[in-house]
Amino acid sequence: MQMLANLETTRERAAKVLSMNRRNLHYIYTRNERKHFPLADDKLLAKETLVPAGVRMPETYRVYSYFYELQNLEQDLEPFHDFVIKPAQGSGGNGIIVIAGRKGRDWRGISGKIYTLFDLQKHITDIIYGVYSHDLGDRAVIESRIVQHPVMAELSPLGLADVRVIMCDDVPVMAMTRIPTRQSEGKANLHQGAIGVAIDIATGVTTNARFLGEPTERHPDSAIPLIGRAIPYWPEIVELAKRAAKAVPLKYLGVDISVSPDGPQLLEINVRPGLEIQNVNGRGMLPILQEITVREAGKDE
Amino acid sequence: MASENSGSTRRLAYVMVLAIMVLLPIGVAAYKLYVLDYPLAGLIPAPSYKIEVSMQVDGHGEDIDIHTYLPKTDSRQTVDNEQNSSGAFTSEIKADHLNREASWRAENVRGQQNVLYAYSVRARHVRFNIPAELAIPDTYPATLASYLVAEPGIQKDDPEIAGAVQRIVPAEKPTILDAVTRIHRHLQDNMANRNFSGFTDALTALRLGEASCNGKSRLFVAMLRKLNIPARLVGGLVMQQGSKRTSHQWVEVYINGHWVPFDTINDHFAEIPANYLTLYYGDQVLFKHTANVNFQYFFKISKQLMTQPDAQSALSQSMLNVTNFYAFFERVGISQNLLTILLMLPLGALVTVVFRNVIGLETFGTFLPALIASAARDTGLLWGMVGFLSIIIVSAVVRRGLDWMQLLHSPKMAIMLTTVVIVMMAITVGGVQLGLFELAHMTLFPIAILAITAERVALMESEQGGMKVAQITFMTLIVIAACYAVMESLFMQSLILAFPELLLVVIALNLWLGKWIGIRVMEFLRFRRLILAGAK
Repeated sequence: MQMLANLETTRERAAKVLSMNRRNLHYIYTRNERKHFPLADDKLLAKETLVPAGVRMPETYRVYSYFYELQNLEQDLEPFHDFVIKPAQGSGGNGIIVIAGRKGRDWRGISGKIYTLFDLQKHITDIIYGVYSHDLGDRAVIESRIVQHPVMAELSPLGLADVRVIMCDDVPVMAMTRIPTRQSEGKANLHQGAIGVAIDIATGVTTNARFLGEPTERHPDSAIPLIGRAIPYWPEIVELAKRAAKAVPLKYLGVDISVSPDGPQLLEINVRPGLEIQNVNGRGMLPILQEITVREAGKDE
Repeated sequence: MASENSGSTRRLAYVMVLAIMVLLPIGVAAYKLYVLDYPLAGLIPAPSYKIEVSMQVDGHGEDIDIHTYLPKTDSRQTVDNEQNSSGAFTSEIKADHLNREASWRAENVRGQQNVLYAYSVRARHVRFNIPAELAIPDTYPATLASYLVAEPGIQKDDPEIAGAVQRIVPAEKPTILDAVTRIHRHLQDNMANRNFSGFTDALTALRLGEASCNGKSRLFVAMLRKLNIPARLVGGLVMQQGSKRTSHQWVEVYINGHWVPFDTINDHFAEIPANYLTLYYGDQVLFKHTANVNFQYFFKISKQLMTQPDAQSALSQSMLNVTNFYAFFERVGISQNLLTILLMLPLGALVTVVFRNVIGLETFGTFLPALIASAARDTGLLWGMVGFLSIIIVSAVVRRGLDWMQLLHSPKMAIMLTTVVIVMMAITVGGVQLGLFELAHMTLFPIAILAITAERVALMESEQGGMKVAQITFMTLIVIAACYAVMESLFMQSLILAFPELLLVVIALNLWLGKWIGIRVMEFLRFRRLILAGAK
């Protein structure tokens, strides 16, 4: 009898989990037309659409599309103290170099690593060649570096944390912040060992945290408590996510936001947001999605 | 709402296409079974033998020649998939209306050398009924004259043989059935079988009263020729799993326009079993070679099951058969083998889809496991997987080296592919040299596939790291094995070759899987804490 009851509970619980097949078929394919994918996959295209719609994003300093443009790289970078080099179509935080300042003729990364002019040229060349994108060629973007809000810097001392909000039909579904660790080598990527910390959408307070698939309550490197923390600028973050979602014709999105001392900035939008956020939040998100879609359908009639 | 309408139109189209994909092939298959009377027995795989003739010589600087006979395809036996691996030797095959003789030649041969020749054989059991009243004809067409004369080992005109024939067949004018029955029974029952390999002529066999296959067969031929019945020696192989050095000889007698087989060692009267392979006709020596080269040989025989393409071709004769299209492929010389590979690919892709979308394993691409599995068709699963793994390892190692040298991306990829091609070529050449036909089959087809693999692996490794690549490689290997099991299943092959319309059912299954939104097996594991009651 107990086993049967367990089985029934299991069935009910399984029905709450958004599976990969259902996400693809019922949310991504029906809400995100493939022709609009480049808006999300290409960060420069995203900026062109989102910034005019009032979405704050890091400032673009330079864009490199061709090799010959690299001849004057040193002069081009002269005016900027710190900056980020990233592939316009990169994913998973790969191919990003964050420069914190100069060291003699070279540049100093945030981790203290030294980059020569040749290193930067080589990296940008790799980006242009498409090493970090699934496409054949890509563009390299030089943009302003985001400095973290002190609260975020305390939670995430080893790199830039981002806030991921899943948006369905312009309504926030679930949220978490992703905190880089030593394990993730400074990247905010859960699969590479970043911590996922669930955020209650109503209050902006963290509720759960997971590191490498296991529940945790503290940062594994700094031992800072991660649960029950209030994310700064939370109402603004939700507002920014909504504004970004409304500005694009993509209706199932992962919106990635970082928090600087003067407010949130949008990093990128993702048309195939992962499912791990359910594990981070400790619950399936299908009921929330279904409630949103029913509500939306009701509005239309 | 417009999207609502397009949604329901889409759903209707989906259901209709799905229905067509299920009903159409069922209809066509039923039509073939009931109207065209398709023989279901054709779906059962037939036994086939793989024969490897291995020959070895020791050279001391001389020129060496080796000759042997190779089987021909005729109404009883089908010979195909012939492969020659002869190292330093050049080979030549000459055929006349009876025999096919292969020769290998090399100059200044030093040391031990191997020649390997392999082929596959399917043969039928055949039995003749000899009409009882059939008389021995007085005359025959001129073409049969050579089957009636005396030969060095077949002394049909010797008085002792003439006397024996008189005693065994005393009738003045015997029928053919009477003559062959009496002679066959005499050789079978009154003469002991001796198992020695030397040459025994007809007269010696008669005098000894015992003989091996070649002595008995010569005596059989001599006695029949004495009675003015054309007869000839047949040399061949009794195909049994394993290695053997002994060949076999039996007899064919020209009766009423047919060459009818007899074997007085194993008592086959007017019949020949399915495991007899005919290699040559006439009083020949199976192996001829340059003297004093320590010639060694053996036959390696392995039994395997194969699909029966004949059943399908029988169907193609029917004027009613609108579904037959194999004739078109045959006309342009596309082999059954290639066709099978092509037809099984969708099944392999379906298997991959199940593994990816229902079980939740990640693989390199959707087609790749099926393509690798079909590439492994000639090499066997083990060598196919070894090839796949070696490509992944080689490309990973090469990529690391090139990364360290700091090269640009595209030239790096080009170097990697070049390395992969060189490695595959080396494996092929090595396989031929070692006589490992399985390895030698790493042909261009798999090279193209594996080259694609190499680029994918390199990209994935730089994007997601070596661990991820190792995981996906492992999962891909599992899926390759599953694809191989399905695609190489003889039953599935027979089924698809006989009913290619079943490919539409494969589409139907994919249509269904394409709308399946269930939780993948791997997702149960991933979200076990959310799903399983009591789990933390």
